[in-house]
Amino acid sequence: MSSAEQHTQKKLVKTLKTSSKLKKIMAWYFIKGKIYSKLPWKKVAWSVSGFPTEFLWTYDVYPFLPENCATIAAARHKSQELIEYAEACGYSRDLCSYMKTNIGAYDKKLPAQFGGLEKPDIMVCTNTICDTHVKWFQIQSRKLNVPLFQWDIPAYVSGSDEKVMNRYIDYVQDQFWEFTDFMYDHTGKKFNQKKFIKTINKADELAVLWHELFEYRKKIPAPLGYADTLGDVFPMFALVGERSGRGVNFYQELVNEVKEAAKVGKGVVDEEKYRLLFEGIPFWYKIKFFHQLANFGAVVTYEPYTYSFGARRKIIDNDIEKSLREMAKTLIHTPYFYNLETRMEYFKKTIEEYKIDGVILHNNLSCRPSTTGMADLKNYIQEELGKPVLLLTCDMNDPRAFSEAPMQTRLESFIELLEAQK
Amino acid sequence: MNNIIAIFDSSHDAPEEIIMAAGKIPYKILGDVHTSTTPADQYLFETFCPAARSFLTEALSSSENWDGIVAAHGCDATHRHFDIWKKHVKIPFLHYVNNPFSRVSKSSRKFYKIELQTLIQALEEQYSVQITTEKLKHAISISNQVKSLLQKLGKLRESKDIPNREYFEICKKAVQEDKADLISELQQTLEIWKDRPTFPKGYAKIMLTGSDVTFPEFMDILEKAKLRVVRDDLSIGERYYAALIPDFDDPIDAIIEYQYLIPRPSTKHPSNPRLDYIFEAYFESKVDGILSQNLKFCEDYAYDSVWLSDTFKEKGIPSIHLERDFIAEDQQLFTRLEAFRELLKTQEALK
Repeated sequence: MSSAEQHTQKKLVKTLKTSSKLKKIMAWYFIKGKIYSKLPWKKVAWSVSGFPTEFLWTYDVYPFLPENCATIAAARHKSQELIEYAEACGYSRDLCSYMKTNIGAYDKKLPAQFGGLEKPDIMVCTNTICDTHVKWFQIQSRKLNVPLFQWDIPAYVSGSDEKVMNRYIDYVQDQFWEFTDFMYDHTGKKFNQKKFIKTINKADELAVLWHELFEYRKKIPAPLGYADTLGDVFPMFALVGERSGRGVNFYQELVNEVKEAAKVGKGVVDEEKYRLLFEGIPFWYKIKFFHQLANFGAVVTYEPYTYSFGARRKIIDNDIEKSLREMAKTLIHTPYFYNLETRMEYFKKTIEEYKIDGVILHNNLSCRPSTTGMADLKNYIQEELGKPVLLLTCDMNDPRAFSEAPMQTRLESFIELLEAQK
Repeated sequence: MNNIIAIFDSSHDAPEEIIMAAGKIPYKILGDVHTSTTPADQYLFETFCPAARSFLTEALSSSENWDGIVAAHGCDATHRHFDIWKKHVKIPFLHYVNNPFSRVSKSSRKFYKIELQTLIQALEEQYSVQITTEKLKHAISISNQVKSLLQKLGKLRESKDIPNREYFEICKKAVQEDKADLISELQQTLEIWKDRPTFPKGYAKIMLTGSDVTFPEFMDILEKAKLRVVRDDLSIGERYYAALIPDFDDPIDAIIEYQYLIPRPSTKHPSNPRLDYIFEAYFESKVDGILSQNLKFCEDYAYDSVWLSDTFKEKGIPSIHLERDFIAEDQQLFTRLEAFRELLKTQEALK
């Protein structure tokens, strides 16, 4: 048996007891979606990461998130056939594997537990993370004949200052009112300020708890790792501002469990040796990769990707316009899509705060925007911050890009490097 | 310094006339297909758009010849790569213009106007110049003269013997050279082209769409396959000159309106007007077929290409979609183009 095989068959990171309750919440969410899509007076939307889901819940419009559905398809080992279907339709191998999974899942009418989703009444998207979100929704809105709202978020590039930010905020804020017009035109629902405030406050409860969880990840040993958060982030995708409070209750339980573990010094691995930062989207079809880090005493204690979903959007002084300006800022500038200058400063701060020993960078083949600047980032972390970096070239949803043995070998070399630095 | 302000954008996104009104020559960076992109590949992985890597390579080696660079938002590459340009390209002036993605949002025009006014202010401060309304109107007039002449030159492709490379080179000059100086050259070229023999036998008339073509060697490959580009919707082509900048009291408003009028690139929302332009050109010029091509890793067009190709098929328009590399010679591509030419010949015979 090779060393790689030995490691893949050994122990896994222990996940939290509370995390296992997520399945029920997800099942409830998908059943709710099914019901909403069947009832003529209810409305269903498709939305993307980066679009504030709570704005949809304000209107009691149910948000389906095709990206999230794509990750489910990958975790259930369905993504490859869906991607290949989309490629047979003409979409290039180089394009976003989430998008291709969604094309396949919808056309093949997959059930929700395999990444399928219902036809929406409306689609909403932003270009804040990538052009792909817009291009993808253009394709599907054209095909399904569904109205699309595109929220144009200007790119806050390196060297931008407060003046630039204020200009951009004005634009993003103006478009909020265009969004309310769109919602009225296509759902018949008027903007209700009271409901908006209530929903935003509810959403912030969730974000506060999410942030609290991250605070505990600073502890040594870490009581919470990526093997948990990559699933536990789900409410931050879909249930932000949702009224039943299921997401809030779930996070409260998580916080309680993590707090207890931290109190007694219980970590997610028995002997925590290396604390890692993972940059990028995980390999959803190979979640075991993150569990197997335990074999080396390693745990991912911070990842900008899941943290970014917890942007705090608050109601300030009961003033909508003032609050919208602060919310606009989070749409323009959040860790996952920071410009290179900010990203470097942010990595420096995070590495210190979370006492990170090494960084794994995912050069994601079908998400170029997230990998731009990674070469500079790698050099900066290695040379300026003196931390070892493992650059993995792979894909978030396409298993054809993942090669088991070479990945394992590279991981082992990285661990050796970490060991040498200790 | 050569009084040049280089432009880094992805289609036709930068406001050249503002640069001209500052007394500078706008020069669109197009890279060089014959130069290795190794310098840029230190910062951008090989899975990124090869044209964008070539642009960065050119900037790394040539920026000392330029007074500054204006980058304008086009595709993801423009704003994401801007950070890398800021870190590694040595240049005294580097400014980013956020040309809005949305062409439907009511507030996008207001936002774009502020972006252009900010560029004006930045140029004025950097070069101690005054960019007045008169100067802007004069620049627009020069630009429109160039565009009008290009319209006439472009139209001649349908009836005269104008090789693909010649057309490409003249369009390239328009985006890289001093426009005021170019006007007389374009006028002379127009006279020469008018006297050219008629459209040569044995060639098929095609409409070219897809990723922007940035080097003439690609046009040579088409020529070799006996495919003549008589219509296109590309930035080094009709997107640049199909519309004139309107005569408005406020020249900034005119520049904005122009940006909304040009044949729609895939990098702006919505995409549907692109198809409208292609259909209009196809039926107006009675072309034999449509060639849709995608530069490897050019994502925005790759998303549109399936919809466009499917629509062409539905409408019974002879067409082909190809992916190409950023290379000067491509035998495989040539073979596929020859096959397309044969298909068009067969369809012609069946008519």
